Amino acid sequence: MKNIFKSILKLGKLAKIAVLSMALMLTGQSCEDILAEQVISDIGNDYINSPVGFEDASKAAYSYLRAYYAQELGMTMMQMGTDTYTQGADGGYKKYNLYNNDLDPRDRWVRDLWREFYRGINTCNAIIERGPKIEGITPAILATRIAEAKALRAHYYFVLVQHFGGLDLRLTESFGPITEISRSTEEAVYTQVLKDYTEALPNLPKSSSEWGRYTQLAAEAMLAKVHITRATRSFGSAADYSAAESFGKNVINNYDRSLLPDFASLWELGNDEHSEAIFSVQFDYDLLSAGGAGNRWHLYYLMEYDTQPGLGRVLAVGRPWKRLRPTDYTYNKAMVNRDVDARYDKSFRKVFYATREGTFPTTLDNSKDNITLAVGDTAIYMPGYEMSKEERAKRPYQVYTPSMYQFKQFGVLAKFLDPLRASINETRGGRDFMVTRLADIHLMVAETLIQQNKNAEALEHINLVRRRAAFSGKEAEMNLTVADVNMELIYDERARELLGEGHRWTDLKRWGKLIERVKLYNELGAPNIEEKHNYRPIPQGQIDLVDGGNANFPQNPGY
Amino acid sequence: MKKTLQKRPKGSPQRLWSRQVFFTLSSLAFFILVSMQSIAQVTGTVGGEDEPNLPGVSVVVKGTTNGTTTDMNGDFKLNAPANSTLVLSFVGYEDQEIAIGNRTIINVTLAIDAASLDEVVVVGYGTVRKSQMTGAISSVKAKDISDLPITNTQQALQGRVAGVDVMQAGSRPGSEPRVLIRGRRSFGASNDPLYVLDGIPLAGGIGDINPNDIASMEVLKDASATAIYGSRGANGVVLISTKRGESGKGTVSYDAYYGLSKAHNTIQLMNGEQFAEAKREAYRASGNYVDDASLFSAVELDGIASGRSTDYLGGLLRNGNIQNHQIGFSGGNDNTRFNMSLNYFKDNGVIPNQDFNRNVLRINLDHKINKIFSVGMSTFINYSIRNGENFNPLSGALRENPLGETYNPDGSLNFLPTEDGLRSNPFSEIVDGAIVDRRRSNRSFSGLYATANIAKGLTYRVNFGPDFTIEKYDRFQGTYTNARRLAPPAAQTNNETRFNYALENILNYEKNLGEKHTLNFTGVQSLQKDRRELSGISVSGIPSEAQQFNNFGNASIIQGVSSRLIESTLLSYLGRVNYGFNDKYLLTVSMRADGSSVFGNNTKWGYFPAAALAWNMSNEGFIRDVSAIDLMKLRVSYGAIGNQGINPYQTQGLLSQRSYNFGSSAAFGYAPNTIGNPDLKWESSTTLNVGLDFSLYRGRISGSLEAYSVNTRDLLLSRNLPQSTGFSAVTTNVGQTRNSGFEATISTVNVNNGSGFKWATDFTFFTNKEQIIELAQGKVDDIGNGWFIGKPLSVIYDFEKTGIWQTNEADEAQSYGFAVGENKIRDANNDGVINSDDRVFQGSGVPDFSGGITNRFSYKGLDLSFFVFARVGQTIRSNFHTSNNTLFGRYNNILVDYWTPTNPTNDFPRPNENQESPRFNSSMAIFDGSFLKVRNINLGYQFPASIASKLGMQSLRLYSSIQQPLIVSPYISRWGGIDPETDIDAQISGNVSPSTWTSTIGLNVKF
Repeated sequence: MKNIFKSILKLGKLAKIAVLSMALMLTGQSCEDILAEQVISDIGNDYINSPVGFEDASKAAYSYLRAYYAQELGMTMMQMGTDTYTQGADGGYKKYNLYNNDLDPRDRWVRDLWREFYRGINTCNAIIERGPKIEGITPAILATRIAEAKALRAHYYFVLVQHFGGLDLRLTESFGPITEISRSTEEAVYTQVLKDYTEALPNLPKSSSEWGRYTQLAAEAMLAKVHITRATRSFGSAADYSAAESFGKNVINNYDRSLLPDFASLWELGNDEHSEAIFSVQFDYDLLSAGGAGNRWHLYYLMEYDTQPGLGRVLAVGRPWKRLRPTDYTYNKAMVNRDVDARYDKSFRKVFYATREGTFPTTLDNSKDNITLAVGDTAIYMPGYEMSKEERAKRPYQVYTPSMYQFKQFGVLAKFLDPLRASINETRGGRDFMVTRLADIHLMVAETLIQQNKNAEALEHINLVRRRAAFSGKEAEMNLTVADVNMELIYDERARELLGEGHRWTDLKRWGKLIERVKLYNELGAPNIEEKHNYRPIPQGQIDLVDGGNANFPQNPGY
Repeated sequence: MKKTLQKRPKGSPQRLWSRQVFFTLSSLAFFILVSMQSIAQVTGTVGGEDEPNLPGVSVVVKGTTNGTTTDMNGDFKLNAPANSTLVLSFVGYEDQEIAIGNRTIINVTLAIDAASLDEVVVVGYGTVRKSQMTGAISSVKAKDISDLPITNTQQALQGRVAGVDVMQAGSRPGSEPRVLIRGRRSFGASNDPLYVLDGIPLAGGIGDINPNDIASMEVLKDASATAIYGSRGANGVVLISTKRGESGKGTVSYDAYYGLSKAHNTIQLMNGEQFAEAKREAYRASGNYVDDASLFSAVELDGIASGRSTDYLGGLLRNGNIQNHQIGFSGGNDNTRFNMSLNYFKDNGVIPNQDFNRNVLRINLDHKINKIFSVGMSTFINYSIRNGENFNPLSGALRENPLGETYNPDGSLNFLPTEDGLRSNPFSEIVDGAIVDRRRSNRSFSGLYATANIAKGLTYRVNFGPDFTIEKYDRFQGTYTNARRLAPPAAQTNNETRFNYALENILNYEKNLGEKHTLNFTGVQSLQKDRRELSGISVSGIPSEAQQFNNFGNASIIQGVSSRLIESTLLSYLGRVNYGFNDKYLLTVSMRADGSSVFGNNTKWGYFPAAALAWNMSNEGFIRDVSAIDLMKLRVSYGAIGNQGINPYQTQGLLSQRSYNFGSSAAFGYAPNTIGNPDLKWESSTTLNVGLDFSLYRGRISGSLEAYSVNTRDLLLSRNLPQSTGFSAVTTNVGQTRNSGFEATISTVNVNNGSGFKWATDFTFFTNKEQIIELAQGKVDDIGNGWFIGKPLSVIYDFEKTGIWQTNEADEAQSYGFAVGENKIRDANNDGVINSDDRVFQGSGVPDFSGGITNRFSYKGLDLSFFVFARVGQTIRSNFHTSNNTLFGRYNNILVDYWTPTNPTNDFPRPNENQESPRFNSSMAIFDGSFLKVRNINLGYQFPASIASKLGMQSLRLYSSIQQPLIVSPYISRWGGIDPETDIDAQISGNVSPSTWTSTIGLNVKF
């Protein structure tokens, strides 16, 4: 060793010494310090345990609503395969309309709905469990946020139970890998949903300064919905109808909500926060906060207009994904009495204006060979009724009548069109998605009254909704008499009033009419639909991954 | 005299005069001195022990740069001073020094270098003589690399090393092949080997290394060899050593090649007429076909009438080219040696806007300060530009309706060739400036070292390896692109800054105890830190296309912004003892302890021991006498190695941002996203390896055989969870896998006769069987994750297509819920229903065996080699056959034999307008992926030294090479595919850049 020291000194290679000693110094730190892992650019789970993190978690709890409402997922599961809507030309999820063997447990939508809503439930569980242990939150805010989380948890479970039946009823936050899971009964889920909403109700605000948060109003509306749905289940009872009636009437009587005077103003752009709105899933045009979501329903009801003579794709109309096409029932049985009832007129888009000038050969309208158009001229008129060839021939544009409709061109529901999107191909729209509005509540109250043989009282609620739907001055003609009141009327009235708004599949299921009415009115779904289709298949991944597989988490019958 | 001169004023006549005198006198004196030593011409013939005439032997006058090489007959001619000494050297023979004395004719016979068996092999933290090696290590030398137009480091390993599978799908410039050593063992952690560059373990990639700088690569395969890298060695280790300078006359070298590449073929699509007919059939199937006039749009009708059929795919391909230029300087003296090179590499792919350019400056320096200290460095600075990493217009071209109107009457591109709003003109994607997709990367890596010979046999070395990367990825999509389809342009930029260093203190002690015992001890302490900073922004609504990604402030919409910091640290201690007895018995024992920041608090440290024993049978008396056997060595090794190849922060439960809004105010929130696992620890593999190294008949047959079994436990498994937990997956340590296999590497010299003709063959063969032994729930299949006990780590588990439902099977089809003309799926469990229970195994991407044969012929200066490689028994999924086989009359389709009532084929189902893809289409894409490829054919000529020297060169070689001229596979001959080679995922992307063949000419010159 002496030698080394000597030679170092002798040579005076200070630089080398520096390198060596630096090396030793750097590695001389304590191992524990060096190997500690610090989360800097991510946010660790403990964040929720702080007041600000708790607040952020309760915002996040809402975000999962966007995975279902206003997406293709929701469109497919809420509207496809019903009596009012059948498949258009496009989309890979026609199995939900055809009810064929493809609609199986491997399907993407059932998997996605299951996954996203359970993430929402886990977030709610975290809020409910951790909230009381966090220091520094004012008790009032804590109570409100926990109530919101309970209402959201109930909301997620309510949607899931309607589609899937019995669930994994998970009420605590998940830590670590959990695979010992079993399937609860459908009844237990309803019991929990009602419990959550009931517990939430007193602690929710009557109204919120932040539009879109759960309020007492929304919770009472949802309680009405849960009860009216539970009433038709095997474990439901007449008491559910009276409970639904009472919650529905609370919504109507105890809050500041009122029907909009004009049916059309329900769909005005920028009018999301109108007086009829009760609970809506929030969207906005700011794409940063859209975070990949956005209301996408503007895509699905639009027919392929942009390939038609004289037309090109424009933002003012939209991007046609042509997923959903009205059935004959919608045109001919639901949307009737159109000279008095304005709802066909105000729900459908009838005219498409030319964006290209020139002379074009006609396509669907065979009353003439060519049409000559200038930009802005009417290129297509869709009156919604049959028009004679002679009558059509008089017009300088194409007239598409229901008999010409097919997979690509059909009646266009205009309720969701969204010309305020950032660009023509932008799929993310900014309209709020209405989960329930006052007219829905009136019709639900009417339904509970009919079930309790109070048809006269039911008629008042029905006529109220119908009168609002009249063309100006024809309100009286919309009034029905008590003799008209029965469930058939409810089926048709809800179809007219709430067409395409996402209620139909669960409505049909509630009424026990899904199979009957699909067989009657949905030509493509009719051959295959059977009893099992009242439930969606449980995602295969869920069954494969729980301990014991199908024995512990049985698939719904028939899948 | 000196003093007086100094006193004279500068530039005075006297001063100039005296200088002249001085020079003249000294020159004269020198001349006299030189001429006193008489210069004579020496001639002679050089032969070897095994052949009479050796061409190309270097003959140099010792201590000078004066020298020559022998010609084709082994003759040389050289002017040399009498009494000087000649040094003769030639590869494979021992150097020989001959004192000339007064002779003018000198004939020499060189002895075969027995020590060529004893070449030095680089191992982890040291070197070892090949005969002393106890582990399974294979080498690739510089000559194997520089003789060929090799574009990346991984390619140099391709087919040369048994047990190493180098896989590359397609030809996208700048993409790096996947390297797997002895298969996969891990689901969740990385299966990539560890690369060690000039002694420094790399954290970054190796794409920036210039393959021409590589002197050798050693692949460490078994536990004994890799355990020294402990936690990072589980997937094998590749040691890369770059060329270093040598003392003596400096050389300047220039190496270059230029090649043209062409797509092998393209997938066959329907032409206009075929597409039209498929569309008609799609509407016949739904009963909606009346006549062409009502089915086709005006553009399509026009296309049909005029016989239009645009070959978009062909129109998007070009001839690619590849070029490489390298200029190198190397040399030095006894104390300082250097090697410098500057390299330019450019690969223009066969698709426009796909190219890769790499510029590398390398400086390697070694300096001996004194008897004790040496210092040195090996540094490279890289600047590379890659275009088209995420750009490929082919996917659009594969879909585009061939009947469309490609050009407007004025000759300009028609952006929407048909009325289909989703399909824009594929040619508009490659219009200049329409799409920019560029990654620019700057990297500087230095391996700095200092060594001290502390005492006899005891050395200390410190390595410091800073590795600094700045990378910028830019992407721009203009208005006239399919991504934007007339919407305002969009752009994004991602930046990454990465700093990473390794700091290692290495102590080595070597001692011979008596004559028979040799002992070597190595101790290392190592610290490696990695820090990555990432940021990115994406916008849309850029006002002017020319702005691209250069002014995000002008964009009307910010789509997203992000930044991120990722850090990790690895601290290790290790020790190794090599003990040899009498050169017969060799023992290596090693132990490494690794602490890593990425694991849980209680489980950061892992310990990895290994031992190996080798028996040099050829040094035993009973074999030594067998003249046929030069070397026979049996090796056994056993050890544990770890795998930490997971991303940081997986032990922590993390939240993710969620976006929502209340009214019009944004409401960002945070929700649980990943489950933490504080007990997450090292995955560990134990390897048992038995090997035999042999050399027979003076190296005529040599090679090694290896058999191994690797058991990996505590797998770092991203295990899927039931989604009702609110999480999709969690990283855990569960389960067990096993890899077992056999490897043979055999080299033979088939012909080597006096005429100078030589034929040698290198043969590699290997099998690797991947098996899952245990999963989270024990020996229970995990169907949800697609993991099955006894099967490879990923398998193709899907419905089995048995044909197409034929007309006479209508009732049976109906009973399963199918229609005639649809895919017929085997009811595997015979329950009368086709559901997910009918999925069956249909193979995996793991081949039954792989092998390669390289034949080398040489005659005088001429050499010819060709390399054939085969991989047999794997199954692949061809996404061409699903995503480009949708058969619904909207998008163009690959040309398939589809079912119609009059064409009752069993190949593919009937087109139907009411489907976006045929039902059960995933079953249509599963094929046998076996293939045989001629990887390259290479022809070279080494000019005789005499000619080279006339041109002022030390040596000159010209060569020509064809890369991948031939692929043979059932996937090509039966199913119209292009190239079945895939990454281990066994997927052929429908968006792959077509495989190419490249023909190259190259030149190696030394001055």
